[in-house]
Amino acid sequence: MSRSGKTLTKYKIVFLGEQGVGKTSLITRFMYDTFDDHYQATIGIDFLSKTMYLDDKTIRLQLWDTAGQERFRSLIPSYIRDSRVAIVVYDITKKESFDFIDKWINDVKNERGEDNVILCIVGNKNDLTDQRQVSIEEGENKAKQLGANIFMETSTKAGYNVKTLFKRIAKSLPEFQNSTSDPLSGDSKTTSDKNDANVGNDKAGIIDISTEEGQQQSGCQC
Amino acid sequence: MSKDETTIKKMLVDHKIDGPLAAKGFGPKYSLRSPSVPNLHAKVYTEYNMSDPTVGNATGGQGTSINEEDGTLSVIDMYGDDDNDIDDIVSSRAINLGSGNDDGNDADDLRSSTQSENIFNTTSINNSIDKPNGTGTGKNVQQDAQHNDRYGFKKQNNSISESDYDRWWLDYSKYCIRRKHKWQLLLEKSGLPIVDDSPIRFPPKSEKLKRYVRKGIPAEWRGNAWWYFARGQEKLNKHKGLYDKLLVKVDKMTSQNKNDKTYPDLDIIERDLNRTFPDNIHFQKEVFQNGEPPMIKSLRRVLVSFSLYNPKIGYCQSMNFIAGLLLLFLDEERAFWMLVIITSRYLPGVHDINLEGVNIDQGVLMLCVKEYLPEIWTYIYPNHSDTTVDTESNRRTMSSVPHKTQSSMMKNNFLYKLPPITLCTASWFMSCFIGVLPIETTLRIWDCMFYEESHFLFKASLSILKLSEHDLLKHTKKRYHSSSRLPYSITGSNHNSSGDLLNNKMHQDENDMEIFQVIQTFPKKLLNPNDIFDKIIFKKKFSFNRLDQEEIDRCRKYVTTQRNKYKRYVELIGNDDKTSEESSATLVNKENLDKTQDADDIINGALSSEVYGFKRNLTGVHWNNSLKEKVRQMKKKIDGDE
Repeated sequence: MSRSGKTLTKYKIVFLGEQGVGKTSLITRFMYDTFDDHYQATIGIDFLSKTMYLDDKTIRLQLWDTAGQERFRSLIPSYIRDSRVAIVVYDITKKESFDFIDKWINDVKNERGEDNVILCIVGNKNDLTDQRQVSIEEGENKAKQLGANIFMETSTKAGYNVKTLFKRIAKSLPEFQNSTSDPLSGDSKTTSDKNDANVGNDKAGIIDISTEEGQQQSGCQC
Repeated sequence: MSKDETTIKKMLVDHKIDGPLAAKGFGPKYSLRSPSVPNLHAKVYTEYNMSDPTVGNATGGQGTSINEEDGTLSVIDMYGDDDNDIDDIVSSRAINLGSGNDDGNDADDLRSSTQSENIFNTTSINNSIDKPNGTGTGKNVQQDAQHNDRYGFKKQNNSISESDYDRWWLDYSKYCIRRKHKWQLLLEKSGLPIVDDSPIRFPPKSEKLKRYVRKGIPAEWRGNAWWYFARGQEKLNKHKGLYDKLLVKVDKMTSQNKNDKTYPDLDIIERDLNRTFPDNIHFQKEVFQNGEPPMIKSLRRVLVSFSLYNPKIGYCQSMNFIAGLLLLFLDEERAFWMLVIITSRYLPGVHDINLEGVNIDQGVLMLCVKEYLPEIWTYIYPNHSDTTVDTESNRRTMSSVPHKTQSSMMKNNFLYKLPPITLCTASWFMSCFIGVLPIETTLRIWDCMFYEESHFLFKASLSILKLSEHDLLKHTKKRYHSSSRLPYSITGSNHNSSGDLLNNKMHQDENDMEIFQVIQTFPKKLLNPNDIFDKIIFKKKFSFNRLDQEEIDRCRKYVTTQRNKYKRYVELIGNDDKTSEESSATLVNKENLDKTQDADDIINGALSSEVYGFKRNLTGVHWNNSLKEKVRQMKKKIDGDE
């Protein structure tokens, strides 16, 4: 399918959400499997791309990290416009960031139309249970109500559900439509899915998300 | 050494009493106006020294740096990124020798290098302020000293390894010593005093001084020099006591209710405080076991004060970095006023709520690229907008226009629908290159910005783009190794037209990404400021080096006008992406048809003046230097004929 890497199918993924909810952190966890307590605030837009390996297929993901502050929103539309996937992130310990996802989803729908985009809603900082302000159910309901394809809670700090998220996204892409059962079926499922453990060869520079991550550590050091 | 230590302790005590520390709000009253060079002389490392003897060397020097007459200190300490490392000792000796040879005056050299030690102090700034006991942190600090640069930033990042950094610093530190020596001579010659290694006045502007600034202001003088060149005192004098008044308000706001919803900026600022230079020791929590780092407290006060002072801007992400960097070099009150000056004089409108200023500056930058770096322009903005396909990929901030008028708008349409790359370059301006370039390079650009005004930011941007040409070529070649050098000129292939268009669009997108990636990554590797200066800025052959402030100001005005005209047009015609259905309905509506025609007239009027405007600019603003040259030659010829 990939002719010597030359014509890898590329998918543009845009990350949206309020300031400080963990967009950069989510990307960093996915790309490098690392975490810092604090990332520099993103100014404007950051672009990263990564080759991903799943089910014997290789695709190229282009990740667009955006600034969260409201005034930056005017700069972002064109990046939403061409995106195949939009990931709207909120912070489960900040109700406000949750309330804002309607706005972001609206932006996406305005730019992209409802059908052409895979919409994901992600509640991050799931490790901070004692500070939780938004319940999983609220998240699920909101996702249903807004017609999101994927809803998930993650913890970029604990590395929880991040790979799973990207795996589910990948499986929603046309590339994988034939090889899997309907990927959008388990929309509101939030627990880490420990299902299909695909065997994939590790290739240098390629993220193989076939293996499941299991650690669901807790406790915050801050 | 023991003498040094006594000095350190004494200094420490002094600073606790009447240094900037009290001014930082730790004393009962804010008195921020007092110290001349507050931050540079408040030393955190002195405390480290007391708590951990192994880091003594690095700090021992600092104590004496203020009155370094005896000059017994070893150079090792001055650039003491790494006290115990043998390599470093060797390299430091090399520094000593190197600078000795270069300057040919041992006494001076020793003095200059001793003072250069202060550079290291720059890192320490005011961190010592509320750290009641230094025990237990020594180890971390020692590590920091190894892995952090003289300002406290981590040497290593995604683009630069620590060994790369150390290798470069080995030479660059010698360069800094030499430059500082030259500055000292210049100031002496000009009869300006250098008290406590902290001059507050600088010579009048001249070509020579400009060159000196471009080669870098000594790090420990930077705060004062920026303040001087940006005429900060003038600003402060006009508003004496204002910052104190703001602080009283801020204090009330922040102490009473941090989640005050009536003041949304507060929460937004709060969320960014710990996301400002998290890799810089002065902004890190760990070192300060008792509560927040003072730097974070200062940052909060400056940002909240600013948002009160200028509600039109309030708080905009990226200002945290600007304020943070200022605080590394200036005391709080001066940092505040410099933030005011930067956001109004150097980056006008850039941080406004609608960010229009940043769009204007990107328009100006694009005009400059088109004019001065046509070879880069072909990457950034190939002819793809001439086709009818582009509507999807090409537009950025502004909405689409009806097809009729679209063709006539093509000429300058990149001013409204800025090329995708401008989202990358926008952050260059917003954060004034912080985080975009490595720190020494950023600081050098700041030096020049304060001395030469904002047009230098455009020069710097153009220089970076020019330097990235090689990478651009490499990347696009890799992808388009086939027929053409230019990324978008894939037209003329044998495909049927629709496939062709599709291909075109795909390639455009891919290429936009490639270019985006190059332009985003490339500057992060520009560790050595001299690369930009020696390879580009000091080279006469690059015509954009003739850009001056007047030209940029006019260009800004021009782009502003054009964008306003366009906006008025869009408003009138009611065509917006979000209302495209409605507007197509209104187009059918007869009544509105007239309106549309009016709008067409307006836009045509705007366009004709737009084209002319640009041409007028060409000659009037000396926009096109080659044209100017031609005119001059023609004149000469005519004169000669007569």
